[in-house]
Amino acid sequence: MSERSSEPSGRLHPLAVLVFARKRLGASILPILVIAFTWRGGFALPVLGAIVAVGLAVLVLEWRRFTYRIEAGRLVIERGVLRHTTRVVPLDRIRGVDLQATWLHRVLGLVQVEVEAAAGGSSAAELTLAAVSAQEGERLRAALLSAGAKEIATDDPRTALVLYRATPRLLVAGGLTSGRYILAPLAVIGVIANFADDLPSALGDRLLSEAADRVPTEVLGLSLLVVGGVFLALALAAAGSLLTDWSFELTDDGDRLVAQRGLLTRRIVAIDRSRVRGFDLLDSPLRRAFGLVGMRVVAAGVAGGRPGRTALAPVIASENARVLARALDPLAMPDAPLDRHPKAALPRRLTRAVVLPAMFGVVAIGLQLWLPAAILFALGLVGVLVGLDRYRQLGHHFDGRRLAVREGSLSRRWTSLDPRAIVSYAIQRSPFQARSGLCTIVLHLGQGAGSRRVLDCSEEQAAVLLAELDVPLFEPFIPRSPRLAAAAS
Amino acid sequence: MRALGQSCGVILREPASQLDPRVRRLWALEWGLVAVGAAVLTAGIAVPMALAENRLAALVVALVGGGVTLLLVGLAVLQPRLLYRRFGYEITDLGLYVARGSFWRRWQVVPHARIQTVDTKRGPLERALRLVSVAVTTASAKGGTDIPGLDPLVADALVQELAHQAGINEGT
Repeated sequence: MSERSSEPSGRLHPLAVLVFARKRLGASILPILVIAFTWRGGFALPVLGAIVAVGLAVLVLEWRRFTYRIEAGRLVIERGVLRHTTRVVPLDRIRGVDLQATWLHRVLGLVQVEVEAAAGGSSAAELTLAAVSAQEGERLRAALLSAGAKEIATDDPRTALVLYRATPRLLVAGGLTSGRYILAPLAVIGVIANFADDLPSALGDRLLSEAADRVPTEVLGLSLLVVGGVFLALALAAAGSLLTDWSFELTDDGDRLVAQRGLLTRRIVAIDRSRVRGFDLLDSPLRRAFGLVGMRVVAAGVAGGRPGRTALAPVIASENARVLARALDPLAMPDAPLDRHPKAALPRRLTRAVVLPAMFGVVAIGLQLWLPAAILFALGLVGVLVGLDRYRQLGHHFDGRRLAVREGSLSRRWTSLDPRAIVSYAIQRSPFQARSGLCTIVLHLGQGAGSRRVLDCSEEQAAVLLAELDVPLFEPFIPRSPRLAAAAS
Repeated sequence: MRALGQSCGVILREPASQLDPRVRRLWALEWGLVAVGAAVLTAGIAVPMALAENRLAALVVALVGGGVTLLLVGLAVLQPRLLYRRFGYEITDLGLYVARGSFWRRWQVVPHARIQTVDTKRGPLERALRLVSVAVTTASAKGGTDIPGLDPLVADALVQELAHQAGINEGT
């Protein structure tokens, strides 16, 4: 190997000890606190001091034993205080390198490097360098990722093209229209309520009655309370969106798409363009009303790990999303009309949406619980609307180069796919589908990209689509029909 | 409206090859063992209850457990015949094609070029009946497929053919 590919072993940044300490503290803070509070007398301080000293020594040792280097086309990581381990990853197995910086990292000017490597079969292994300087992080990412591709002539960051940048206004709008951020405060309240259950019952009851005493009973006070609560929820939703996606920026530096985001914890994800297989546009009825969508990439070896790695744009105006889609993939056709699925799919969507409230509603009426019955009836009506929309949204279209599929209503997903991304095909048919002449095509994408489906299309549509997606593969299986002959020619 | 479970609208034609007929015995044995397990469990709970003079509970347990056991016996009799008739596979120049299931039916096509590994598996029951199952995996965790209950000779030929088509060298 050339001398260029070998370099001296690197250590993590000395301040990594602090990062280690913070990570460890999470686990060991409880015993320390217990000791501090339970030991009376003059023992507590010396013991605590000893624990801290020993802990610090271990952390420093850990830092000293952790080395990494790139040699002969491989990343070598050696670590371990008591048990020494060496991990070797060939560079061409590396699927992605993410840089992440928590608030502590940012204060110290460090980044955490997460290396995702293909580890035989479909699983992926993650290697973490807990803290290196920001500069070293950038250098490592370039060095680790350039191995698979050709050597990049210039690494001029100014050539990077900004494809999308989130403005605070967009992010606020995104937070307010996103179910995730709206529901997050409710989850927090749920957790608190759970805690309240664990408190000594007298205390919990007292707090509750205390709170109940202070709740205003007159109409004006009550409505003020409700309005205040709604405002609080909305503010929290907007704040959540701003926190995670603050100054989200998607850039294209030729070979890679680079997405960075976050207010406190900054995260930089690089996606090899050669791994991009397509993208999803996601929205909800609320977002549709405001003309907003979210955009995610469908890419091999990227979806693994934490969610959010695939985000290309957390929230974007739909007309800009179309422009972005074409910039990412000139062959994508976000405006092309979809082939609708047969009317027979409508009853299926409707029953799915209505059957649960209907069942419970009948039970409620049987038990003469009129209020729940009325609520369930209203839910059923909403279900009818949702079912109608779910049917309306079903569709697919293949123009010979890109497949577009759409489904869902409350969370709608439109996907554009390169058919070369498909790893295997499955057609599924339940007895109910068989009765209506429908079926569902499942396209498996592989390497963590999941699968996409063409839901409830007619048998003829399925046959035509499969025959078009891979003509030679399906040619022997699909019975001849005039329409197919036309499609194949 | 068409009858349930019948082959109705044709999307893909049915695969050419069937499993080894002995696979019916394998499936029947598997369900039978589960049924025996359910029966033993029922007895193990109901008898001590009866001895402890808890007649009503014992009766309930015996009825429920007995029902489940009967259901499993029914499955052991019916399921192998149904599934055997409705399970087919075929290898073409470009892909592996597997169709299975009578009511909930599933057709899978895996292109040879996408196959990562081809494995053979033999459980204790399969060994007793001299059967082999072949499993195919792809880069997608759920994108693979398997063919249970093949004659060892047929399975060998199948694995050879698949490995050859997929470009997997043997012994690596």
